[in-house]
Amino acid sequence: MKKIYLHPLPVRIWHWINAIGFIVLILTGAQIRFADSMGLMSFETAVQIHSWFGFILLANYFIWLFYYLFSGKLFKIYIPPFWKPVEFIRNSLRQVKYYGYGIMVGDKNPHHPTPENKFNPLQQVSYLMIMVALIPLQILTGLMLWDPKFFSSLINIIGGIQIATLIHTGLWIFFSAFIIVHFYLATLGHTPMAHIKAMITGYEEEYEEH
Amino acid sequence: MRGIIMGGVIVVCFLLLYLVNDAISDDVKSCLRCHGIKTLSKQLEKGPSLSLYIDGAKFEKSVHGAMDCSSCHPDITMKNHPRPKKVSDKMVYVKEFSKNCLTCHDQDSLMKPKMHGEIVKKGVILCAQCHGSHYIGSIKEWKDKVSFDDYCLTCHQFNMTKTLPSKEKVSLKIDEQEIKSSVHAKFQCLVCHDDFSKVDHPVYNYKSKSEYRTRMVAICIKCHTNKELQKNLAHYALTKTASCIECHGYHGVKSVKTVKSLPENQYCLKCHSSSIVMKMKNGETLSVQVKESDLLSSVHKKLKCTDCHKEFSTTQHPVRNFDSVKDYRAKAKDVCNNCHQDAVIKYDMSIHAEALKKGNQQSPDCLKCHGYHKVALITKDRNASSELCIRCHSESGQAFKVSVHQKAINDGKQNAPTCASCHNSHDVLPTNVAKLGDSCAKCHKNVKISHNKWLWNPPVRLTTFVDAHFDSASCAACHTTVNKAIYLTFVDRGKKKPLTEAEVAKIFGVDVKDVKSKLDCNNDGKVQQEELWQFISTIKAKSNANLSGRIDVLNSSDAHKIEPKSKAIKDCAVCHNPLATFATKLEINREGEKPIKFVLDNKVLNSVYAIPNIKDFYVLALTKIKILDTLFFIALLGGIAVPVGHVTLRILTAPIRRKRREGK
Repeated sequence: MKKIYLHPLPVRIWHWINAIGFIVLILTGAQIRFADSMGLMSFETAVQIHSWFGFILLANYFIWLFYYLFSGKLFKIYIPPFWKPVEFIRNSLRQVKYYGYGIMVGDKNPHHPTPENKFNPLQQVSYLMIMVALIPLQILTGLMLWDPKFFSSLINIIGGIQIATLIHTGLWIFFSAFIIVHFYLATLGHTPMAHIKAMITGYEEEYEEH
Repeated sequence: MRGIIMGGVIVVCFLLLYLVNDAISDDVKSCLRCHGIKTLSKQLEKGPSLSLYIDGAKFEKSVHGAMDCSSCHPDITMKNHPRPKKVSDKMVYVKEFSKNCLTCHDQDSLMKPKMHGEIVKKGVILCAQCHGSHYIGSIKEWKDKVSFDDYCLTCHQFNMTKTLPSKEKVSLKIDEQEIKSSVHAKFQCLVCHDDFSKVDHPVYNYKSKSEYRTRMVAICIKCHTNKELQKNLAHYALTKTASCIECHGYHGVKSVKTVKSLPENQYCLKCHSSSIVMKMKNGETLSVQVKESDLLSSVHKKLKCTDCHKEFSTTQHPVRNFDSVKDYRAKAKDVCNNCHQDAVIKYDMSIHAEALKKGNQQSPDCLKCHGYHKVALITKDRNASSELCIRCHSESGQAFKVSVHQKAINDGKQNAPTCASCHNSHDVLPTNVAKLGDSCAKCHKNVKISHNKWLWNPPVRLTTFVDAHFDSASCAACHTTVNKAIYLTFVDRGKKKPLTEAEVAKIFGVDVKDVKSKLDCNNDGKVQQEELWQFISTIKAKSNANLSGRIDVLNSSDAHKIEPKSKAIKDCAVCHNPLATFATKLEINREGEKPIKFVLDNKVLNSVYAIPNIKDFYVLALTKIKILDTLFFIALLGGIAVPVGHVTLRILTAPIRRKRREGK
């Protein structure tokens, strides 16, 4: 078995802050929306926690951004090889086949993570979308709702606060579902805790073929 | 000493007896022994002395010359006279002795000349006052000789009055001096009163003073003919609404020259102090009476009439024709505009000006609030200064009485607000466009900062967060405890102004009064979702309008019930709550008027159609789009279903993997 240093410390810090932040924001978001039927906390407390964590996640996003920008790994890790589309599509299909079939019959995961290529094609597309589009969009619409007057010009650009709310709520729905699936997929390492441990220690264990 | 004096008087009396004419009776002679002395007088209790001297020769020539003194003075005999008799004043004395006339002149004979009878009956003028006492001549001779004026004044010099059926009293007294100083000084009474003569005194029974004055005009126009009066059109117009007497008086008619030499205000008041009215084309009348006391107590007391009424002067009085009182009042504003241009410009943009234009006669203009001529300074009494508004806005007035602001007035706080403090005095705008929040902020300085102490979103305390709430909710929404409503209003995004009912009517190509039927198609008094979205789609197709929203009190009068700070709403969940029971209303603005309001189905705020149609209004939790909740639960279930399904498949396929690992 060999150990690969897959998750550097800044990434691990970012990930766990993000994970806690997401859970808190999803729950407080639900409390704000279902003020009449959820009793976790008062509306006011939910809004305050939601706002604090929103800004924590905003700052956290910059940890991720700066790390990947300055380490130069953003392009390598997150950008799918669009210059090799056929190979990328084939690899993607192979990954789909693995999760849908291979994993059932005992096939090996076709993707072998390395520090320079740690995501499989499906992860690469998903995380690129999430990190480059969805999280920034959620942060921006969150800011618009945080202070609609301060960000009124942004609100006008997107077409009104109802649109901002629609986007923010839509992404809340998506992230709520996503985080469940994400947690499940994290248990699909060679042991259920393998990927989770790796995100704590930084080292992913991989069985070597003999 | 007293005995000596009395003795002296008796001797003198005897000596005089020989001096008087033998024609008079002995009775008279005996009286004249004393009363023939010129200095004989009696000191009256209340006034000067009364002469007791009788000229025997003159008495002899009188109609009573052959009569004894005792005929008229039956209570006096030589046995009981002289003896001191107390008399308080001359009139009492005259009254007492006038009764004796009736001994010979029986009631019936006195009633024969009708007017004489009236005077006798009233008893206000006593016989002796007109006829004298001891030297009464023949009436026939007197009538022949006396001038007309003296004849009339014989009675009319006295304080006579006539009570009309209207209970009004008309004085019949004529001041001779007044006539003599008038332009009619040389006229005898009969020149004007030609229906009267020395033998005929008609009696007229006028119902009221007004009728009396009007009928008297007939006297004036005998000389001052219509043709002559028409030379001055303003004066001629005045004669159609006022009687001559109202301006010119009765007998003291002054020459025009004299009147024109008066100070300007006095000149105008010569006519306008009378109860004269102006007739409008539609038959309405308006009093144009000006009370001098009003002028003198007004802030304009130093002004001349022509300072305001510029087209008038002592030589010019244009004749103005107004269609109606409304027309007159609309133009009266121009008078104020001579000096108060700013106020008039502001007033012209007010809801009051607009209402007046549209025919609401109750709506105030300059005159209704400030009066015509009694223009007063704004009172410092803060209760009184709002009274005028409350006369029409009584419900708001009642609501204000229970407010913290009324308490401040009661406590004598000098900065306590009156109606005008918030609504302005001249530029009173409809409350939905008046930006009343700015009015609150005029007194409640730093209101943003004070709200920002608790109304902010962590981690940064921005006042813009307060602004966001100020934009969406009225001050009264949180500072009262009354029912609230969400108001949706059509706003033209391009012009940034509310769409007016007239503009909506234009979009639909209908009359203004039919806008309601276009919105509430089934006419059930409530606008359903489908009706609203259908209505909006037409509006959006032909304009740049959209719905904006705000939270305000349900009943606008309740906005005056401002509570003390301690009772203001600070709990966010009052509004940010899906269960908040706010009414929903749709407002369509009316230019310069209160908006028209419709009851809306509450569900419109939570409909997916609200996203494109109510773009800028969203209250967390309260106006959430409900279908997204359903999507959330579906997504959650989907998120759970993926791992559950996958794990299930993995469990089911575990034997395959085991066999493969074992190399089978």
